[in-house]
Amino acid sequence: MSDEVLLRATDVVKSFQVRGGTLGQKKVSTAVNGVSLDILRGETLGIVGESGCGKSTLARCLVQLSAVSSGSIEFRGTTLTGLSRRQLRPYRHEMQLVFQDPYASLNPRRTVGDIVADPLRINKFGSSAQIEARVKQLFETVGLDPSYVRRYPHEFSGGQRQRIGIARSLGLNPSLVVADEPVSALDVSVQAQVLNLMADLQDEFQLTYLFIAHDLGVVRHVSDRVGVMYLGQLVELADADALYDEPLHPYTEALLSAVPQLNDGTEVRRERIVLSGDVPDPAERPSGCPFHPRCAYATEECRGSDPALVEIRPRRFVACHHPLNSSTSH
Amino acid sequence: MNTATPVLRVRDLSVSFATRQGLVRAVDGLNLDVGTKEVVGIVGESGSGKSVAMYSMLGLVRDANASISGSVAFEGREILGLSDKEMQPLRGGQVGMIFQDPMTALTPVFSVGWQIVEQIRQHSDMTKAQAKERAVELLAEVGIPDARRRVDSFPHEFSGGMRQRVVIAMALSCNPKLLIADEPTTALDVTTQAQILELMGRLRDTHGSSIVIITHDMGVIAEMADRVTVMYAGRPVESGPEVDVVRQPRHPYTWGLLGAVPRLGERNERLATIPGNVMSPLDVPEGCAFAPRCDYVMDRCVQRPPMTGDAHQHACWLDEDRRVEIRSALKEAR
Repeated sequence: MSDEVLLRATDVVKSFQVRGGTLGQKKVSTAVNGVSLDILRGETLGIVGESGCGKSTLARCLVQLSAVSSGSIEFRGTTLTGLSRRQLRPYRHEMQLVFQDPYASLNPRRTVGDIVADPLRINKFGSSAQIEARVKQLFETVGLDPSYVRRYPHEFSGGQRQRIGIARSLGLNPSLVVADEPVSALDVSVQAQVLNLMADLQDEFQLTYLFIAHDLGVVRHVSDRVGVMYLGQLVELADADALYDEPLHPYTEALLSAVPQLNDGTEVRRERIVLSGDVPDPAERPSGCPFHPRCAYATEECRGSDPALVEIRPRRFVACHHPLNSSTSH
Repeated sequence: MNTATPVLRVRDLSVSFATRQGLVRAVDGLNLDVGTKEVVGIVGESGSGKSVAMYSMLGLVRDANASISGSVAFEGREILGLSDKEMQPLRGGQVGMIFQDPMTALTPVFSVGWQIVEQIRQHSDMTKAQAKERAVELLAEVGIPDARRRVDSFPHEFSGGMRQRVVIAMALSCNPKLLIADEPTTALDVTTQAQILELMGRLRDTHGSSIVIITHDMGVIAEMADRVTVMYAGRPVESGPEVDVVRQPRHPYTWGLLGAVPRLGERNERLATIPGNVMSPLDVPEGCAFAPRCDYVMDRCVQRPPMTGDAHQHACWLDEDRRVEIRSALKEAR
């Protein structure tokens, strides 16, 4: 990992108009609410959060699959936001995606060889013989038998399908791979195989990963740095070890404590914090800090004003008026 | 645990399906004892037969090509092969069920109150008004705020976690002796899962129900279960007290399963993996089912190992010394 910023997001907002209420009035639902972050070349940045926190929407905005409502995204110093589709083209092959559901993300009516070849054809990688050779090479890279290219997706298991999805993403030598819940649909033994494969590929091709998942154990395992999202906002961002050893945001603390643990003597027991209630509707965002209605430490200040994400220690960012384990401890 | 009169006693349960490609042994020789107020976990990956086993016990496997054998005794009474009419008081009455997906477990066209009332009236002679009152109590008990108003809400008006609470309230409505929970928290977020697991633990204490929890998540087992059975390809491979199975696992499949889970407390370079995929149920070998994926396979593994041991049982031919050796080597490697 270097200090070179590959992708920089500044105050990214994505909102949708939704119908709500009995009379079907239009409301604005803000899925991503002012997220700023840097992705450094060669690192794996993990993003965790529960369903509906905006982590997938953020990923789609970062790679310009969705237009942002406001804010800017820079890739290697070039501002992508505001570019036309044609102008974006040269950057597309640098940023590839691996999707969650290996059943839905592969077209069932095309052979897996065609699926992997598509991005190569569209970007005019070379002659059809060159493409064919490249596809076979990609199959080998992800640990699949190259003789499988004529088969259809239904002939493969979930883990193999996810390998096909990964092969498709690597064809054009991307520098950034955005993986949105790449292993959550897989059984645990297969999940471990895919995670190990992704680690090997990162070493081999110097990839940068943005790894989105709801499983905190998985994110810890793969990430150099981890960002925690709640209701469309980044509430904490830090090196993985520091974040897991000493969470500073009360939501991070509760999230970590909620993970069932094996208690086989290898892990420190955390005191379980059971949050009350549910995540609020992003169309009816609470005033002040988005987490305050469920936070055990909330004060009047938290109800009144929304804390900004600030670097309270080197490499530790937190958005909280009363961060845990700090000098102004509880 | 009260071994004298187990609430549920399963012996040599086998379920097979005749398919065009051949015979699929979905469950093959499952034994299970569930004592009063005990929580027993069944853990395994997709296709290991854990759900089919539970459904077949309650007569919910209705495939004409299925054949079910063995014995399932509920409070000492054989229930395998009972008619629907004889089974009715059990299902939803003495045996409550919680399913994985709370949206499909509830009908979208009636209010949750209506659905709970229907179940209560089916199993008791309460009047509609009494049953409704009971439904409100139950919803309040499982932690639904403003239960008196929410009783008339429809399933789509609840969040996933709240819906699962409704399903739990419904499962509890007739004070079941046994609660079967099939992946009760798999569809939920981790903080919601924590709420639901805490709720289930509390209800076990207040209602005195025994619980069978089916899951793929060893973490959930560690939180909830007193005892656990690990299944692979339809067969039990290890069973025993949760502490023993998690801390001193004996079967190579259990080692793989535990080693493949990324832990919160550590960051290691590589995860332990189990080579290959969960096999097609058509290709399960006659001998040990795990042999094709096992790192420690021996000549003997062409024979099927029986479950051996007392409280902590395992089905593997490795001898004790070798097992201890491998396990300490695995611990080193971590």
